Amino acid sequence: MKRSSALASEPSQNRTLGSNLIPQLFERPRPDERLIVLDMGHPSSSTVNFFNQFKCRLTFLDLQGSEFLAAQPEDPSHEELVAYFQQGLNLQPGVMVDVCLFWDLLSYLDGASVKAFIEALDPHVDRYTRGYSLGLHNARNQLPHCRYGLDTNTSLSQVPKSGTQPTVYPHNQRDLTKLLDYFEIDKSRLMSDGRIEYIMSENRGLRRATPSIW
Amino acid sequence: MIGASVKIDGQITSEENLVIEGSVKGSITAKNSEVLVGKSGVLKANIVAKIVRIEGTINGDITGGENVIITKTGNVQGNIQSPRVSLEDGAKFKGSIEMDPSDKSVTELPVSGSSNVKAHRPGSAADAQAS
Repeated sequence: MKRSSALASEPSQNRTLGSNLIPQLFERPRPDERLIVLDMGHPSSSTVNFFNQFKCRLTFLDLQGSEFLAAQPEDPSHEELVAYFQQGLNLQPGVMVDVCLFWDLLSYLDGASVKAFIEALDPHVDRYTRGYSLGLHNARNQLPHCRYGLDTNTSLSQVPKSGTQPTVYPHNQRDLTKLLDYFEIDKSRLMSDGRIEYIMSENRGLRRATPSIW
Repeated sequence: MIGASVKIDGQITSEENLVIEGSVKGSITAKNSEVLVGKSGVLKANIVAKIVRIEGTINGDITGGENVIITKTGNVQGNIQSPRVSLEDGAKFKGSIEMDPSDKSVTELPVSGSSNVKAHRPGSAADAQAS
């Protein structure tokens, strides 16, 4: 389902959003103590401050940026889309990611693009990898045009973005589960404004029961 | 001080603090000192210094012995390595940040429901609290 950006809500101020799921991003630390963190969003002061506490490599990709989304090839084959996202991820072979901060990126990708993106990320995900995403409970809810950051163990920062919001493709949890392939939604939590936060982990060969909603 | 009208193409090595408002292409090494890239500074250079503060534009890698600060007017394209990095809201950055805090007592990971979460900072648990 595709929705015009004109329907998107426009938050007027910076906010702090509560989260119960952030600690689970760090539940399965890799034996190598250095965290590899991929932030798909815009560089955020709060995220940098948060990870200042850890020995880590933090990479900002800004894939939500309208430039990257608008530059997608027209009528691409699946292989072309995968190659496009591999280029955007720009990860060296053999690099395994511990924390993927997807934020609301998946809501700006249609189903085919989500599949291609997840496939592009595949070589860099293993059983230690955790993902964090924000989505919409259903197509009636609005996605604010914002950038996000990790603030504390229990909160996120949300800052309004300027410019035109890209087209929103609301994926409910059931659809997202199908698109995520080797990722599994471990936990989800419905937020007060109809958004959902998700924690995801790799599930190759370990398909589990239907995820719970907090 | 490297003034706004100065252009340097080459290697700069310094034992003193540096303020760069001009254009530098090459490398800057000031391992025991601070390098300030001012608002008009435009660098296509790698920087190694004790403290690096960026108010201008850098295309290159930065190694900070203690701290790297990108201010709200800063624009950095490159990788940063430092025990501590600060990014002010409004700063532009594209690349990776490699951080390794020297204080090992705060590097424990925040485990869910754990009482020994040393990385925790005070924050609101409210779902959506305006700040």
